[in-house]
This record gives sequence, C-alpha cells and structure tokens, in this order.
Amino acid sequence: MKTKVWAFFLLFIVSCQGWAAVGCDLNDPDRDVKRLFPSSTGYKTAYQSIEKSGGQALLKEVEALLGDEFQGLYETIDVPYTIYTIYKGSDIIGYIHGINQKGVYGGLQVFLGVDHKGVITRFYYQKLTSKKAALMRENDFAQQFIGLSWEDFKSYLPKTHEGGSEKVKQIKNPNVDDAADFYSTLRAVKKNLILMQVFVFENKERAQ
Amino acid sequence: MNRFIEAHDLTKTYSRGAEQITALNNVSFAVDKGDIVSVVGASGSGKTTLVNVLGCLDNPSSGTLMINHKVIFGEGKLLSEPALTKIRRATFGYVFQKFFLIPTLSVKENILLPSVFQPDHTPDDESLYQLMDMLGIARRENHLPSQLSGGEMQRVAIARALIHKPEVLIADEPTGNLDSKRSNEIKDLLLRLNQENGITVIIVTHNPDIAKIGNKTLELVDGKLMG
Amino acid sequence: MNIFQVSSKNLLRRKLRTFFTVFGIMLSTWVLVTLLGFNKGYEQSLSNSIDGMGFQIVLTAKGCPYEAATLMLKGGTGLRYMPEDLVRDVASRPEVLQATAMLMHAEFDPNKGENGGTTVFLGVDPKTYPSMKPYLQFKQGAWFADDAKDEIVLGYEAAELEQREVGDLMILPGSEVEYKVVGILSRTGTQDDGMIYLPLTATQKVFKKEGELTMLGIRLKPSVDQNAFEESLYQLPDVQVVSMAQVKNTIMSLVSSAKAIVMSIAFIAFLIAMFGVLNTVLMSVFERFQEIGILKSMGALPKDIFKMILIETTLLCAIGGLFGIVIAYGFSGLSEAAIRYFLPFAPTGSLIIIDTFIVVFSFISITLIGLIGGIYPAWRASHIRPLDSIRSE
Repeated sequence: MKTKVWAFFLLFIVSCQGWAAVGCDLNDPDRDVKRLFPSSTGYKTAYQSIEKSGGQALLKEVEALLGDEFQGLYETIDVPYTIYTIYKGSDIIGYIHGINQKGVYGGLQVFLGVDHKGVITRFYYQKLTSKKAALMRENDFAQQFIGLSWEDFKSYLPKTHEGGSEKVKQIKNPNVDDAADFYSTLRAVKKNLILMQVFVFENKERAQ
Repeated sequence: MNRFIEAHDLTKTYSRGAEQITALNNVSFAVDKGDIVSVVGASGSGKTTLVNVLGCLDNPSSGTLMINHKVIFGEGKLLSEPALTKIRRATFGYVFQKFFLIPTLSVKENILLPSVFQPDHTPDDESLYQLMDMLGIARRENHLPSQLSGGEMQRVAIARALIHKPEVLIADEPTGNLDSKRSNEIKDLLLRLNQENGITVIIVTHNPDIAKIGNKTLELVDGKLMG
Repeated sequence: MNIFQVSSKNLLRRKLRTFFTVFGIMLSTWVLVTLLGFNKGYEQSLSNSIDGMGFQIVLTAKGCPYEAATLMLKGGTGLRYMPEDLVRDVASRPEVLQATAMLMHAEFDPNKGENGGTTVFLGVDPKTYPSMKPYLQFKQGAWFADDAKDEIVLGYEAAELEQREVGDLMILPGSEVEYKVVGILSRTGTQDDGMIYLPLTATQKVFKKEGELTMLGIRLKPSVDQNAFEESLYQLPDVQVVSMAQVKNTIMSLVSSAKAIVMSIAFIAFLIAMFGVLNTVLMSVFERFQEIGILKSMGALPKDIFKMILIETTLLCAIGGLFGIVIAYGFSGLSEAAIRYFLPFAPTGSLIIIDTFIVVFSFISITLIGLIGGIYPAWRASHIRPLDSIRSE
C-alpha cells in the first residue's frame, strides 16, 4: 500500500508541468488574519495579476506610479498577488496584501494590513534575510508605517530614495550600517500600496 | 473419319424449385475435326446447355461424351472442376454474347489474359500479332475496351479465345449484341478461321444467316435433337 | 503480363471505392501506429523520468528522513548520520557504477514566518552529484566549482522565495558568512525545487558535521542484481535502504493496465480495417461474378482466382498501411500535442516514439489482417462455377 502511494506521488511529480510564477501568500492565513485583525470574523482570498487585470498597459502604468521598472527573474507581469479581504460580520474592515521584494541577502516578504480606506494598520515582514534581521523586525520600525497611505508614498521615488510626505521622510532606518534593505522595504511598501489601489480601491470606484 | 466429339444419349436435368426440368433429352451426335456446327432452336430449347456440356463447362446427368476418343463423361466417370478446367484449357476457346473484356486492361492484355493462368501457353509475339492482324485489331492493341466498337470488342473476345490455340471454338450467340453489318463481319471471320486455320467451330445462334455457314446443323426442340 | 498486374489493374476499376478503402485502412494504421508509438513513448519517457530521478538506491542512517518534506514537517529534527568511512566503503564496491554522498541539514531560521521556520540545505559533492542528476537543468549559471566553499546553488522555488539571481549574495540563518549564488535550477516539479545546495565539505564544516553524512545515492552497473545488492546493504549496521525499483515496478504495473486498454483500442482499429477490407473485396467479387466465371472458362483454376483476389486485398492493405505509417509519422507531433492537452499528467520527453519495429510490425499486421479479411471473398470467388456465372445473365 505504502509503495502504491509513493508510486502515485512519483507519477504526479514526474508529470507536472507548466508552473506559474509564485506569489506571496500568508503562511497560515487563519492564524495570521486573526493576529493582524483581531476583530475579524472571516476573510476571502482573491488572486490577481497585472497580466490578467490589464496586461502590458497596466504594467507600464504601475511602473510609472512606482517610479521604477519591474526587474529580474521574479518581478514579472504574471506574478499572482493574493489579496485577503477581511470581514467583520458582513462589513469589510480591511485588506491584507504581501509582496516579494529582493533584499541584499534574500527575499523580503512585506505584508501590509490596511483598513477599508487604504490606511496602513499593520506592517509585517513575513520573511526577511538580513545580517541585522532582529533590528528590522523591531516593533518601533513597524510602527512608523502605521497611519500612512498611498497619498503619503505617491511622491516617493525608490530610485533616488527621495520624495514622499513628511511622515515618509521621517521613517528611520534601524540598521545604521546598511541602508539597502531599508530602501528595498520602502519600495516594497510603495509597490504594495499601488497594487492595492489597482486591484482593490480603483476596482471599487469603477464598480460604484 | 476424324471424329473429335462423340455424344451418346446426353441428358441434362436440373430442378427449379419442385419442378424437374429436362434441358437435354437423349441427345446423340458427332462432330468431326474441321466441322462448323450450327446449334439452332428456340429460346429455352437447350442450345446453351448442350454447348456447356460439350465445352466441359458442365457435367451431363447421364449419357456419354468422348473428346478425341477419350471418355470425358459417362461409363461412371464424372470429372472434378479442376479436371474439367484442364480439358477446357487444352481443347476449347469460348466466345459469348457478352464480351466480358476486363475494362482496365488494354486490347493486347485482354487477349493475353488466358496465358496468365497458363504461363506455359504464353504465345510468342509473332503469333500474337498474326492473330491480331487476322482479326483486324492490331492497331488497337493499346486501346481500352471502352474505346472500341461492339464488333471490335467481339473480335478481341475471339482473339482471347484463340490465343492458346484451341482445337474447338465454342461461340454462344456471338453476334447477339451486334448489328447486321458487324454480325456479317464476325460470320466471315469464323468461316476464315475454320478454313484457314482448321479450327472446329460450334456456334449457337438464333440468326439463320449465321446458322447457314455450318456444314452440320443441330436443331433442338425442347431438349431433343430434330432430324 | 502476370496475375499481379491483372490484380493491380482491377483495383483501378472503381477508383473511388479503392480510394475510400485505402483511406479507411490508412486511418486504422494511423491509429495503430500512433497507439503503439504512444505505448512505447509513454512507457519510455515515464521510465526515463523515474530513472532521471537519479538514484536507484538511497542509503540513509536508520530512521533518518530522506526527503525534505518529512524533515520540514518534523521541524528539522530526527536527522541521523552515517560515518563517512562506511559510506565510502559502499561507494567503492565493484557493483556500484556511480555514487554520491550527501549531507542534509535543517536549520531553524527565526526570520522565516511569524515564529521562524526550517530551511533545508543539501551538501552535495560537485564531482559526482551533477552527473547522477542529469535532469537538473539550469535556468541561470551552473554547478559550483569542484573545490568551492562559499558558493551556493538554488532550486527554482528556493530562488524565487529568496528572490536570488546568479551573482547575488546569501547568508545562512544565524551566520554572517556570505555565499555567492552561482546557479539557479530550472523547475523540476520535485522536492529539488525547494532545495538549497552547498558544496559537501563546506556544509560539513559550517554545520559542524565533519565526517558525517546523511545519504548515499547509488546507481548500479547494469549487470548487477539489484535485489542481491540491497540485501547485502541490509547487513550493514544502522542503515536503511530506499529502493526506487519497487516504486518503479509499481508505476510500471499501473502503466501496463493502461497499456491493455490502449491495445484493445488498437485491436478495434484492426477489426475495423479487416471488416472494411472484407466488405470492399466481397462487393467487388460479387460485381465481377460473371467475369470471374469467364476467367475460369478460359482456364483459370480456383487457386488462380483465389490468388488474384488475395493480391488485390494485399495491395489495398499495403498501400493503406504505408500511407497510414507516413501520416502517423508526419502527425506524431500533433498527436502528441493532443495527448498532452487531454492528459495533464504526461511525463516529459517524447510521448510517441515510432521506431522501426513499430513501423514493420504495423505494416505486417495490417497487411495480414487485410489478408484475413480477403480470404472469405477470395474463397467465394474461387468457387464461382463458370456455368453459374454465365447463366446469371
């Protein structure tokens, strides 16, 4: 019996083909949603991609908003983005969305929780590889993002690390030795907010 | 005397449903080498049955048939189909009212068809062209049957019947499908074959004009020989 | 002129009918060749895929999880080690064609997920590992150099998770030593995708496991009796033997039941061809009833007629079969695409392999089947009595 199960397993794995790019999901959505939105009673999961929502034109638009190009093997048009819509009863109380961002020594998974208007309520590295990981994960650093929204990051330029609202300018890098991962994080937050605009808030406006 | 075929008391009966039909009734006659025998009679009088038995296409029910002094039927002898085939191969050539040429084969190929089944009887080119010349179809050798007139088709059928140099040519209503002009041509041809090549000819015919060429006439009425 | 020419010209008489019969036989042959080719190709590529997994036998310490998924489920605990001497001894046995030693290591990474997570590393020998896992292709870069210490190769998913490209740097959890990414593997669909590969000696050193190994992948010489060899391994203390042969046998027995279904479809194709031929030839015999009688009156023996009809049949089948083979060959790419479309779990590699054996076998069998279909009409024709045919006017 055991061999048979193995055989099926092998048959399956030697057969699978045609994979899509991998997105950024919560490791344990049930637990994570409850932690990020303690008052939530449920959530819905939706998968979006730039390719599906608007193709090349949308990619150009997103890049223009970001002030930077998509680059490398993994930041592609077909990356699926997972958006968790958080409910309390039948009301939407917010959204959770994470994106992958290239860091110096590994991938950063930057998750944001936002309320129904798009204001950041939680900032969270699901994954981080850094020599100073502990500093980056300190609560003080995360707190600086709370209350910010797309409007604050609109004028921030990831290429030059300049611009942004006063609040954005005041965010302090916890790692005084190296700013690379800090800047990557700011780019990730901006990209995260743009995609939330595209996939959630603009869709809602259009629907209304 | 040069007796070639001798028939004594040939009788052929067959049943059609419950009815017993006597197609030949105690027929006796003889054919000599070089004869032209006309077999005449009304429709259903047994002409075709008679030549089929003579030509070893069919066994008689009773009676004796001798060809070239050998007993073919009778005296308790009844031949198998392959044995009959062998006698037919050696002795007879057949011409029928319908020409039965193979439409996809040329004139020459149709004439050579019997030699496909008897490779040792394959004629040399000379005798083949001689035969075609004599029958007036030499210039048609590469034509298909569909390109020939009725008379030409019958002449091809005659050539096919003669290619293996049989001693007897059996022609069953050979002009039945032809107009009078073509019929006369065939009649003259049969005469020439008999006179120039010494072939014994047995013709079944309705046509009194054709029947006239026979030096012997067998007239059948209801399976019995008259006269 | 001979009987063959007569037969072949007979076929030209009803060109459309001959065409459709040949067409039918062609379709049957096409189906037959494609199915046989599929049978062979599917089995072979499946077998290749399994063989391509690299090892016939994996030797591990008793109770040691040998695959990353189990290891991660257990949170990286439970790894056991074999002494290097024992492993080297097995690897140098005469029955062994190739062997490669590995050290698997699971390290807790506090920065992975909310409560930390386990990352699995595999120390491999750059001299022997790549040649035993030939199906591991690179999306970027290549394996590390033989004597490399600070180089790293990532499985596709590991690279995606870490957002690494060739040339990027990496650090191991809890360490500040920088490693350079030299290669990123293409996707394989196996657990190799999530693996992080380090040079074996570097792994032993950095995780302080000098002289210890977790696995030995073995490939035997073709003439060696695998069961006997495995039996001898069981004599060693505290090792377990994981054999791919059992797994492969089970898969192949699953495949052979699928093959039985495919063969029965092929058999139906045979029957269709046979009855198609029987019908056509019988019809043409009936049409030529008188003509065959006349042939017999002019000296054709029953066996001549039998031969003539059978040659016609053989010709029909041979021509149809030939075209069928050509079409099967020409359209095998298309057939393969169709199979892949309808069969989502198709193995990689050529799914339809049409070799000389299949071509010859199909040609002979379709011709034979046609011949069988032609026997009855030929027998009927050979028994036509000249008199009956003339009478039937």
